[in-house]
Amino acid sequence: MQAMPLPQPIGIPLVVLASIFAIRAPRCQEPVEPTFAAVAQPFFATHCVRCHCEDKQKGDISLTAFTAGPTTGKEAEQWELVLEMLRSQEMPPEDEAQPKEEDRIRVANWIDRELKAFVASEEAAGSGTTTRRLTNFEYHNTMRDLLGVDLQLTDNLPEDPTRPYHSNNTAEFLLMGLEHLDRYGENARRALASVIVDPTPPDPKKTRQSWAVAQQRGMPDPTNMQRDEIGVFGNRNRTVANGMRVFEWPDTGTFRIRVKASAILPPGTNEMPLRIMLGHDIVGVGVSGLSPALSVGTLRLTNRIDEPKIFELTGRIENFPSKPEHRYRRGGRIDGRLVITPPHFTVTPVNVYDDGTLNDRPDPLTKPRAVVEWMEFEAPVNNGWPPAYHTRILFDSPLRATDEMAYLRAVLGKFLPRAFRRPVTSEEVDRYARVYKLVKEQLGLKTLEESIRETLATALISPEFLLHTNGRGHEQHELACRLSYFLWGSMPDDELFELAQRGQLRDREVLAEQAVRMLADPRANDFVANFATQWLALDKQRAVPINLERFPRFLHTIARGERRGQEVPNRPTVRETMQAETIAFVGELIRRNGEVAQLIDSDFAVLNQRLAAHYGVAGVQGHELRPVAVRPEHHLGGLPTQGAFLVGTSTGTAPHPVYRSVWLREAILGDHVSDPPADVPALEESAGEEAANAVTLKDLLRIHRTKQSCRDCHARLDPWGIPFEQYDATGRFAPRVAPAGTRISGFDPNRHKDLESYGSYIAGLATQVVDATARLPNGPKVDGVAGLKRYLIDERLDDIAENVTRRLLSYALGREVTYRDRYAIAELLRKAEPNGYKLKDLIVSICQSDLFAARTNK
Amino acid sequence: MSRKSWHLDRRTLLRGAGAALALPWLEGMTGRVLTPRALPKRLVVTYISYGAYMPTGPSGITDLSKPHHDWSWWPCRDPGPLTFNKSSQPFAALKDYVSYLQGLDHAGGHKLGGHSSGDVFATGADMANLEKTNNISIDQVAANTHGKKTRYASLVLGTEGGTGSYGHAKTLSHRGPGKPIPSLHKPRDIFDRMFRPYAGRQLADVRKELASRRSVLDIVLEQSKDLDRKLGKPDQRKMEEYLESVRDAEKRIERIDKWTHVPMPEVDASGLRLDVTAKQPEDYMRCMYDLLFLALQTDVARYATFMTESEQSTSHEVGNYSNYLLGYKGNTHDISHKRPKDISGRWDQWRAKQHAYFLEKLRGAKEGDGNMLDSTVVLWGSAHPHQAHNTQNYPIQVAGGGALGFAHGKLHRFVGSDKVPLANLFVSMLNAVDVPVTKFADSTGPMTELRKA
Repeated sequence: MQAMPLPQPIGIPLVVLASIFAIRAPRCQEPVEPTFAAVAQPFFATHCVRCHCEDKQKGDISLTAFTAGPTTGKEAEQWELVLEMLRSQEMPPEDEAQPKEEDRIRVANWIDRELKAFVASEEAAGSGTTTRRLTNFEYHNTMRDLLGVDLQLTDNLPEDPTRPYHSNNTAEFLLMGLEHLDRYGENARRALASVIVDPTPPDPKKTRQSWAVAQQRGMPDPTNMQRDEIGVFGNRNRTVANGMRVFEWPDTGTFRIRVKASAILPPGTNEMPLRIMLGHDIVGVGVSGLSPALSVGTLRLTNRIDEPKIFELTGRIENFPSKPEHRYRRGGRIDGRLVITPPHFTVTPVNVYDDGTLNDRPDPLTKPRAVVEWMEFEAPVNNGWPPAYHTRILFDSPLRATDEMAYLRAVLGKFLPRAFRRPVTSEEVDRYARVYKLVKEQLGLKTLEESIRETLATALISPEFLLHTNGRGHEQHELACRLSYFLWGSMPDDELFELAQRGQLRDREVLAEQAVRMLADPRANDFVANFATQWLALDKQRAVPINLERFPRFLHTIARGERRGQEVPNRPTVRETMQAETIAFVGELIRRNGEVAQLIDSDFAVLNQRLAAHYGVAGVQGHELRPVAVRPEHHLGGLPTQGAFLVGTSTGTAPHPVYRSVWLREAILGDHVSDPPADVPALEESAGEEAANAVTLKDLLRIHRTKQSCRDCHARLDPWGIPFEQYDATGRFAPRVAPAGTRISGFDPNRHKDLESYGSYIAGLATQVVDATARLPNGPKVDGVAGLKRYLIDERLDDIAENVTRRLLSYALGREVTYRDRYAIAELLRKAEPNGYKLKDLIVSICQSDLFAARTNK
Repeated sequence: MSRKSWHLDRRTLLRGAGAALALPWLEGMTGRVLTPRALPKRLVVTYISYGAYMPTGPSGITDLSKPHHDWSWWPCRDPGPLTFNKSSQPFAALKDYVSYLQGLDHAGGHKLGGHSSGDVFATGADMANLEKTNNISIDQVAANTHGKKTRYASLVLGTEGGTGSYGHAKTLSHRGPGKPIPSLHKPRDIFDRMFRPYAGRQLADVRKELASRRSVLDIVLEQSKDLDRKLGKPDQRKMEEYLESVRDAEKRIERIDKWTHVPMPEVDASGLRLDVTAKQPEDYMRCMYDLLFLALQTDVARYATFMTESEQSTSHEVGNYSNYLLGYKGNTHDISHKRPKDISGRWDQWRAKQHAYFLEKLRGAKEGDGNMLDSTVVLWGSAHPHQAHNTQNYPIQVAGGGALGFAHGKLHRFVGSDKVPLANLFVSMLNAVDVPVTKFADSTGPMTELRKA
C-alpha cells in the first residue's frame, strides 16, 4: 500500500477561535453524552477514515485505531494534530465533501476538552529532561563572562546539532562524548593560561611603521595612488595596503593597534570603512591557510586628509592565527638563494568601501581611498599588572603570604559559585582544595599560579560547570540561569546572583524588571543573533551558489588570474550583510517593542550602503547597518522581503517557490512540512516530455502537480511560494522577467561591454510581468508579496504570533514545545493579543510564565 | 603489552610519500619473517558525496536493456567479470582487487533526504525513526574489539573536519548514539597526532601528567556521583552520558600511558606536503590518502574512515573542487542535480583516480607473502546514486582483503528478490577482521557473494 507522507501542519491552534467556540457551544446543545462513540467516531467514519485508516495512513495518521480520547502521550500528539486540522479546516481536503460547520466545531471542541483533561491528569509526568550540556554558543559566552576575557574557544568543539527553524539547545539532541570532554579540557587549560598570569609583567613589544609621503597632494590625484593610500583595488606592492609585518609578539595578552588615518572622499561621499585585519599576509595571492587573517574591527573614516586622526583597536592575540606560516617572499631569491620570511603577523588595512559596482572595475581613483600615515602594533598592553581579570580570581590578600591553603579556599569560595552558578558547600571547596594539592605534588608545580590553573581547569570540565541542571534545590539560582541563558546565552551577572541569593527572583515584578534590563544589555544581541539565525535558518543562504554570469554584480569577485571568479577574500560580503540585516531587524523590533505584524511588514528596513545599493534604495552611505525608512516603491519591509531568506530559498539562478513556501510555512506560520519522500522523482523527471518546454520552475511545478502522487503535497505547498516569484534569486524585487523560451546569455564582456549595459540588456528582455498570483490553500487569491503580506497580517496574525511564541518558548526552555504546553501558550497569547502581540512584552511574559519561572524539574 | 612481530623497530625510518617503496627494506629491518597469522587485519571506509553519474539507471540500478554508458559510475553493465569504462578506468589495473555491488543500501537511510543519508553510511542507523542521534559505526565496532592492539583504536579523517550536525555529518564514525567522532582534516594536525603525540616532551613528564590527569578525573567522577544522586530519572540519564565520557577519558589515559612504553615509529615527513590545504584538491587529497596509508603501514591504527566529501560541502572549499579541477561553473553539488554530460563522468573519474591511488599504494606495499591490500578491506561509496533525494541502491565498491577471505573481480547485482541489506556486507567485513558479530544494524546475515570459494 502506498504511504505518501503528507505535509503535517502542526501548531496552528486558533486560540482566539478556541475561546469563542467554548462560549458558543454550551453543553445544552449536545443532547447525547459527549463520548468518543457518540461524537468523534461517526464524524471520522464519514469524513476521515477513507484516507486515514490502517491500510492507507495518509500523513502517517490512522483514525481507526482510536476508541477513546487520548490515553497516552503519543496519542495526545495525534489528537492535537487532528484538532489542528479541523480547526484550520485544512482537513478534509478542499476537494472532498465538507462536514457541516456545527459538526466540525462540535468534534473539535470535544477533542479540545479531552486533550485538556488529559494534559491536566498528566501534569505530574513532566516534560522530559532539560538537563543538558551548554551549547557551544553558551560555552563561549560563559567562559567569557566567568573569566573576564573574550577568547575564541569553540573552533575545536564538535558542532552542535542544528535543524532548520528549530533551536539547537534541545536537551534531547545535545549529547556529550569523549571528544567533548577532551576539548573542554584543552580549552580550559588554554583559557586559564591567558587569564591567570605570572607575577612578572611581560615586556610590551611595539612595532611601528610609517608610510608618510612628503609631497602635498590635491584631490583628485591625477596620476596614481601614493604609497600611503589604500584603494578598493589597484593597490601595489610596498604600499601600506600590503600591511605591516610584526615579528615579535607574546603568546597571550591584549594587543592594541593604532592607526593614523584619513580619507580621500570623492564628491558625494562622506565616509568610508577601513577594516583592519590581523593574521597572515593577505595581499597578492595571500590565501594559503584556511583562515588566513581575521578582522579586528572596521574604522569609519569621515575625516579628510587635512585632518588625520588616530584610531585605536584592541583585541586578544590568542584569537588570531597564532603560527603564521612561513611564506616565500615575492621574487624570493637573493643571490640564487631562496629567502624565506620569518614567521610573522601582518596587520593589513583593507578598504572595504562597496557601493555595489566594484565588479564593474571602475577606476579606483573615483572611489574613496584611505590614507594611512602610520600604524602601530603593541602587545601586551595592560593597565597595571596583574590585569583585572587575574585579580578577580587571585585577589590580593594577606592570607596569600601567610596561609596558602586558607587563601586557596578563599579563592575557590569565590570562583566556584560563579562557575557552578549556585552556592557551593564547604565539601565542594574541600574537594577542589584536594585537586590543588594533588596536581601540585604530582606535577611538581612550583608556583601558586601554575597549580591554580590546573585546579580551576578541573572545575571547568566538571558537570556543574558544563551542564544545565534543574531541580536540585537551588530554584532561585536555576531561575537566574534560565533568565540569563535565555536572554544572554550566558551565566547570570552579579545582580541576578544577588536577587537569587535574596530569594527575590520569583516575584513577577522583579522578573519583568530583570527581563527588560537584560534585553537592554549588549549581551542581548547574542540572544537575538543566535535565536534568529536558528529560527529563520539564516545561514542557509551562505551556501547557495550564485550564478555570477547572470548576477555579475552580486559578489565582489577576483577579476583575473587562476582564481578568477572567486569571491575576493577578507571583505564583508553581501551574504554576511544580509544575515546581519535580518538579525538587526529582529533586534530592532524587540528594542522598539514592535508588534508581531511588523515581522511581516514594516515601514523600515535595516540597511547599509552595500545592501541599499543591492535593493535599490538611494542615499545610504557607510558600512554600519541602521534602520532606514522605506517607501512602497522599494518593495521592502518585513522578513518576507529580506535577502537572507530570499537568497537562501533560491537556486542561485532562479527563485525556488517550493523552498520559499516551506520557509514561510515552517518559520512563519509554524506548520511542519515533511521532507520530500525519498522515492519521489526529481521535478524534471516527473514532468516527463514536457520538461523541455517548461521554462520556469513554476511551470515545472504545475506539471508536477498534475500527477496524483505529487499533488497531495504540492497543492498545499506551491501556492505559498508563487507570490515570491517577484523576487529574484539574489533577493531583489524583479516584477518582470523575460518571456518563456527567451535565451538569456550570461555576462560576456565582449558582447555586453560592461555590467551597466548588461543590466540594460537584461532589463530589455524582461518584458513579461511575473505571474505572482496564487490561490492559497483554504484561503483567498493573493497577488504578489504585497498581497500575501496583507493576507498574513489580516487573517493569520494569530497563527504567526503563536508560532513566534512557541519558538521563543522552546528556545527559552531548551526543549521541544509539546501538546502539554498548548494551554500555557494560549494563556500567553491571550494576554498579548489586545496589544497586537508586542514582541518585548511577549518575551517578558514568557519570563514571568509558570512554564518558565515556576518550573522545578519539568 | 606484548610486542607484535610487525612492530617497527625504534630506529626504523619511514619516508612519507616514498614509504611504499621503503617497505621491503623495512620488513628486513625487523629481522623476522612475518607469518600470515601475525598480519594485522584492517578495515577502511571511504565516502564520496552527491552520488555518482548513472545515466542508464539513475536510481542506482543499471538498465540492462540499454548499452552501457562510457561515463557511468558502474564499470560495466552486466553482472559477472569486470570490464572498465572511462569513469572507472583508474581501477582497471586493480581488477582482481575490486568488486562492485549494485542494489545495496541501508533501510535506515531511506527516509532521510539525500543530503542527510551520508550520516548513516557507516552506521546503518534508522535515523528517521528510532535512532535519531545515529548509532555506532562499523569501524568503531571493530575498534571496540581490537582497538587496544594499536596506538590508536581508529583513525577518523574527513576533508571538512569536525562532526557536522545531525543530517549534516562531516564524519563517518560514531562511538554510539549522539557520539559522532570529529574527523581530522588538517594534514599537519593528523601527522602530529599520529606520530608526534608527546610533542617533544620527555616521556617521564608525559607519564607524570597522565597520572595526575587520572587522579583528577577520579575526583571529578566522585563528585559527579554525588550530583547524580540528587537528580530525577531523565536527568540522571544525561548525567550518565557525562559520566561515560569521563570513564572513556580515564580508559584512554590508561591506554596512552601503556603506549608510552612502546617506541614510536619514526616517520620522516619530508616527502609529505603537510601544509597543503583544500585549495589544491589533488595534492590535498593525495596527502590525506598518504597519511591514511602511513597510519596503516606503521600500524598506528587498523581501522579508519575517510569522508572525502560530506553531503553538505557546499559551504566548504571541497564544494569548489569540480570548479578548480574541471572548470565547472557552479558548486560541485550542482553536478548531482544538473548532471552535465561533459562534467559528471569526469568528476567521478577524478574521484576514482584518487581512491585508486590509495589502493595502489596498499597493493605496492609488500607484507608477509602478499601486500597490504590483501589484508585490508576497503569500502568506497556513497549513500545515494545520482537521482536527487533518492537514497536507495548506493554505489558500492569493495576492495582488498584477499587474505581475509574476499574474492574480487566481479560486478554483483542485488536486485528484486536478491536484494539484501548493505549491513550484510558490514557483517562480513567485520568477520573478516576477526570481529565475531552476527548482526549489524538491519543485517539478515553475512554476505556470501564475495566469499572466496
